[in-house]
Amino acid sequence: MGALKAILWRDLALARQQGGGLGAAFSFILAVVVLVPLAIGPDLVLLQRLAAGMLWLSLLLAVLLTAEQIFQRDLEDGSLELMTMTTVPFELIALVKAIAHWLTVSLPLAVIAPPLGLLLNLDINQLPIFWLSIIVGSLALSLLASLGGAITAGLRRGGLLVSILVLPLYIPVLIFGVSATTMLMGAQSAVPSLLVLLAITLLCLVMVPLACAAALRAYMR
Amino acid sequence: MQKFANPTLFLNLANAVLPYLIAITAVLFTLGLYGALVTSPADYQQGETVRIMYVHVPASWIGMFAYGFMAFFSAVALIFRHPLADAAAKTAAPIGAVFCFLALATGSIWGKPMWGTWWVWDARLTSMFILMLLYLGYIAVWQAIEEPFLAAAIARIVALVGSIILPIIKFSVDWWNTLHQPASVFKMGGPAIETRMLAALLTMALAYTALFLTLHLISMRTEIAKRKLRQSRLFEIRGN
Amino acid sequence: MTRKQTRLSLILAALSLLGLAVGLVLFAMRDSIVFFYTPSEMVEKHLGPTTRVRLGGLVETGSLIKLPGGLVTFSVTDMTKSMKVSYQGLLPDLFREGQGVVAEGNVAGDGSFLADSVLAKHDEKYMPREIVEKLKAQGKWKG
Repeated sequence: MGALKAILWRDLALARQQGGGLGAAFSFILAVVVLVPLAIGPDLVLLQRLAAGMLWLSLLLAVLLTAEQIFQRDLEDGSLELMTMTTVPFELIALVKAIAHWLTVSLPLAVIAPPLGLLLNLDINQLPIFWLSIIVGSLALSLLASLGGAITAGLRRGGLLVSILVLPLYIPVLIFGVSATTMLMGAQSAVPSLLVLLAITLLCLVMVPLACAAALRAYMR
Repeated sequence: MQKFANPTLFLNLANAVLPYLIAITAVLFTLGLYGALVTSPADYQQGETVRIMYVHVPASWIGMFAYGFMAFFSAVALIFRHPLADAAAKTAAPIGAVFCFLALATGSIWGKPMWGTWWVWDARLTSMFILMLLYLGYIAVWQAIEEPFLAAAIARIVALVGSIILPIIKFSVDWWNTLHQPASVFKMGGPAIETRMLAALLTMALAYTALFLTLHLISMRTEIAKRKLRQSRLFEIRGN
Repeated sequence: MTRKQTRLSLILAALSLLGLAVGLVLFAMRDSIVFFYTPSEMVEKHLGPTTRVRLGGLVETGSLIKLPGGLVTFSVTDMTKSMKVSYQGLLPDLFREGQGVVAEGNVAGDGSFLADSVLAKHDEKYMPREIVEKLKAQGKWKG
């Protein structure tokens, strides 16, 4: 347990010192939010219908942009190899690194980005549920991003490959995340969508560390 | 099983089987197409358009079967370190992707006159589309990583992670209200499809399966030849 | 904890997480993502004219009226409630009275449904016409 805590603190400290890409990711979301109304025109009714989906999409892409660096640096400087030498199962180490990514990138983004929806004419009454859904979904986004990061950790130009591999896996998160808000537009309960989102997160919590550890071991052999 | 790990033995076997397999494919396609286009009746609702089903449904089945095949051999490669299993999974992917594309395209052609639209984002169509993307991702892994052993190790993981889509596709029409019709053949209480139609459909399914196996065997042969070529080049570079 | 115990407790934790996930999905399923709503569901929901929804059900027999200028009206029913639909445009081939249909649009002020697209939904039965006729004559057709 001590080792896991140490890795978590180390990753958090590294993110604090080097910025961790959070600022860049937030600027990306901001840029998308500004571009959407310019691209589709100033129709407020249309914007309202698109707001939740567009914000989800921009958050998801922003998280994806940071995926490459989750394991790459640790693999290159050999610290990942050192981590395999502890008695702690390597799967747990992969999980802790994914959680560190969540705490430093996805969760802060999910907390600060939703009010930007007001720029897209998002109904203020739907904001709480939208906020909640994006926070619930953010852990799954981080887990899947770290899966992509692990699969491409040892590659020179892994960026494009990460998107090709992770985007299909993001589709269920996107569908249920957005449906929580659109259900509300149809005057329905958002609870089923949130529960499914939670279930997807739990599934990722189990499967992603296994796949990450296997991929990273392949690179370290 | 271990016996076929020897590529030479596998090649001999493949070369012996291949002519028969090609013949079987040709015969099955002739029978299947005759059944689909001539002997099977027009549908009471869809009229002659129903005949698209005979190319669409088997294509979707093989599109999914090929992914299952790929995931199975990835698991075999992971557990038994079987060198040919990776090649089997790798060569199944492009073939599966083509069948998957065929299913989407023929479905679209059927959907326009019948439903009134080329495409809708309902659960069955969306999940089939994701399958197509997963195939492309798997193929991209093999192309992005030059070192073959590393590529194999990574590709196995990608194939196994993606296999979660298969039950979702199968049950999407039962779990959600979709525009796509529910299962007609593999359902509780027996097929809801007339005997002559079912016969033609199953013959076409066998024909598609035979076609898949033929194409797969041919590209396995190519894959083994490529490996030999690479090895002999490596020997040359080392200067013996 | 020894290595073995750690492994075992991890596996148990993973299995219980998976179990929880399955439980959540089973609890939430069936009405989370639907492609369309039935007329009864539409009545329950009191939707306003600004919400775009899809209405699905069977076209009520004898309700199809084609007006000049391409305007069509028909009723969609789920055997308990039915809803009047008006639509301007071409209907798909499979559109029949008594068959499944999915209409997309919004609810008008008078409680009827204004569709801007109509899709025909096919069922899972594949039969030639003669056999259907025979079954109907024998009274064995369930359609």
